[in-house]
Amino acid sequence: MTTSALAVPTSLLKISEVTKRYPGVLAVDNVTVSLESGQIVGLVGKNGAGKSTLIKIIAGAEHADEGHLQLNGEPLELHRPHDATDAGLAFVHQDLQDVGDLSVAENVMMGLGYPRKMGLFVDWAELYRRAAEPIARLEADIDPREPVGELSVAKQRLVMIARGLAQQAQLLVLDEPSASLTDEEIEHLFAVVRRLRDDGITVVYVSHRLEEIFELTERVIVMRNGQLVADEPTASLNRSLLISHITGHEHAQTATERRASRGVGSRPDTEVVLDVNGVSADTGVHGCSFDVRKGEILGIGGLMGSGRTELVRAVFGADHRREGAVRVHGQEIRDNHPAESMAAGLALLPEDRKTQGNIMDFSVRNNITLASLDRHRVHPRVPAPSVRSEKQAADRRIDRLSIATPNDRQLVRLLSGGNQQKVVIAKWLEQGADVLVFDEPTIGVDVDGKEEIYDIMEELAAEGKAVVFISSEFSELVGVCQRVLVLHEGRIVGELEGDEVTEPAIVEICYSQH
Amino acid sequence: MTDTTTPSESLKSRPAFSVLSFISQYGVILTLLASVVTFAILNDRYIDPGIRNTLNIASPLLLLALGLTAVLAMGDFDLSVTGIQSAAGAIVVLLIVNHDWYWVWAILIGLAFCLVAGVVNGTLVSYIGMPSFITTLATGLILFGTRYESADGRNITGSGGLPDIYRDFGVGQPDPWLSLHTPVWISIGMAILLWLLMSKTEVGRYMYAIGGNPEAARLSGINVKLLRASGFVIVGAMALVAAVTSTARTASAVADSGFSTLLGAYAAAFLGAAASRRALFNVPGTVLGVIFLQAVDRGLILEGYSTGVRDIAKGCILLLAMAFTRLGASQR
Repeated sequence: MTTSALAVPTSLLKISEVTKRYPGVLAVDNVTVSLESGQIVGLVGKNGAGKSTLIKIIAGAEHADEGHLQLNGEPLELHRPHDATDAGLAFVHQDLQDVGDLSVAENVMMGLGYPRKMGLFVDWAELYRRAAEPIARLEADIDPREPVGELSVAKQRLVMIARGLAQQAQLLVLDEPSASLTDEEIEHLFAVVRRLRDDGITVVYVSHRLEEIFELTERVIVMRNGQLVADEPTASLNRSLLISHITGHEHAQTATERRASRGVGSRPDTEVVLDVNGVSADTGVHGCSFDVRKGEILGIGGLMGSGRTELVRAVFGADHRREGAVRVHGQEIRDNHPAESMAAGLALLPEDRKTQGNIMDFSVRNNITLASLDRHRVHPRVPAPSVRSEKQAADRRIDRLSIATPNDRQLVRLLSGGNQQKVVIAKWLEQGADVLVFDEPTIGVDVDGKEEIYDIMEELAAEGKAVVFISSEFSELVGVCQRVLVLHEGRIVGELEGDEVTEPAIVEICYSQH
Repeated sequence: MTDTTTPSESLKSRPAFSVLSFISQYGVILTLLASVVTFAILNDRYIDPGIRNTLNIASPLLLLALGLTAVLAMGDFDLSVTGIQSAAGAIVVLLIVNHDWYWVWAILIGLAFCLVAGVVNGTLVSYIGMPSFITTLATGLILFGTRYESADGRNITGSGGLPDIYRDFGVGQPDPWLSLHTPVWISIGMAILLWLLMSKTEVGRYMYAIGGNPEAARLSGINVKLLRASGFVIVGAMALVAAVTSTARTASAVADSGFSTLLGAYAAAFLGAAASRRALFNVPGTVLGVIFLQAVDRGLILEGYSTGVRDIAKGCILLLAMAFTRLGASQR
């Protein structure tokens, strides 16, 4: 298939001079772009660059302040999301928007009404038959009768794509579709996307994972500060050029270069701060032992489902430990008592900042001081928080971590994903833990934000803290960690240190287990 | 990293004044003032002694609503509160009247009973993990039923048997400054205590954190189970105070199902949350909610309206309050 970004004359969707303002923010700034039939287009940009707002406008969930849309040369008026669906535009969001209790078939056919028998009763056989067709197009092994909630994340995303197909979509927007998917599942997803493209469907693929953009897309649209800053055939770009479009900066480093330039070597010869001995848990962790030294950054890698999160949750006491001992500064901490782990100096920055990290309806200030309230008292013996002390602490953290918020009273819900993550970090810095476990801190965070989070971890290590860094992007571990443990099916199956820490070495260990 | 605004872009203008957000913020208070003024113009007995009597009668309702505010803030319901109150009232009156107990010991036994009821509810909900709505509905039914059977469904009258000092908790001499009766002052005292706890202490912050996200609260080292269970114990303590003031006022333990009181207490707490800027359950809001519902009720009684009309009016007020909160939220 020949692809050229601008030469194809027939455009499917044309976005002309679209502008959207929010109070205080110009979210989309005079964007004009035209999407042709049967193309895979990557849409990239930092968090807050305007991608989501642009998608919401196409989806009819937000109204543009200026500009207009055209579909197949006809003006397109979107007053509500249903209008977009009717026009053949389908959206698969990162947060799965299916109804878990309903069957696959009901989710696929949602919005199209149920087939009827005698005008009254639902014709289930017909419903399952109709739903099976779009599912078959995805070559997915999914039973239309199964409740969606019992499927894997990958299959749930496919169900959402099947819904788009059932609605005769001409344009399919996939927002971070590979999040939480294993490599095999991502390969299948790519195959599905390519087949849809061959059927003439236009796919807009939104991702922070640039390797995927290069592997899959034919054309890349880059947004920055609400503006469209680049629109080019993928073949004419390379990684560092794309990153410079996204960030507006000139240079871009690879993980190996970063490792070399930061002088990341072997782990320091200091005292052991966290000692984990033979920990097992019913969540799928089997006899894991490791230790972390003062000033060390230890990476934990492994494929999706290898038990990384489960391991650190069991260590922290967020989940029940079946056996094994955890010592912080030589002191053994009891099972299932997060408060006791914290008192000993261990902190867990959980994977999901929305459901586990932050109280979304609390202010930035109240989230930052939540784990250390007893140090912000009006009087040491009166357990009442001092607003002044809390505000000072919050302002100091906001300043030091450059959290983008109008003030410390802003609700965390209203911050961008990367800034919500920084609030979680601020909370634990304020709490003063000696061992900080970061579980996927860079998920959904853009290129600049990732670099900032690496810097924070390095600063903490330099101050003498011990850091554990979990990531599914191995290149991150290579760029930052002195030592990397590799997990497979809940067991530690490999350990790399110093010069051994390379991406191929980690991948090698992961796949030699099969 | 994810700063969406560069200084040149940020629009300096403040958001325009919105009628909806104004109403959602101040609607409840303004409506309350408007109704009080209207009733005061219509009837010169509305303010004095009407309002004063209203407050007196409303104090058990306020005490129950205060207890509910504590559990609601943590995302739980307690439907057993009037059951606890009714059973505790019967215990206290029976001990004093039929068994000649000194009133202080009787109240302490009543308190112990209420605290145990709270601990049972708290254990079932928080430690065993049963859903609070249905669990407390069940324990409340058991308490009502036991109370009912223990006196063959009759009121336990204490006239003659209750000492004057006990009766003073229910009526007492009005104080010389504001001419309010004892139960009103007791309720105000409890409201201040709970307000201090919920809005000025670490525990209060943790309670709202649990209401916002229990898992994040737990991972921040907060003892979620203990605090949630404690909420039910607070409800129990409030139920005891309500039991004492109400039995002291009527000189009897009434064998009433208490469901209208229960629903009134919930209505007041939700009205109070609707009146707060961030739609959180809070003590001043609950106090406002109780006063509002009672002020309207009293005004309509003085104007000669029947129970049905008063219920319709209160229902409409609640719907409007919720609607304005919702609209205000969608504006933000």
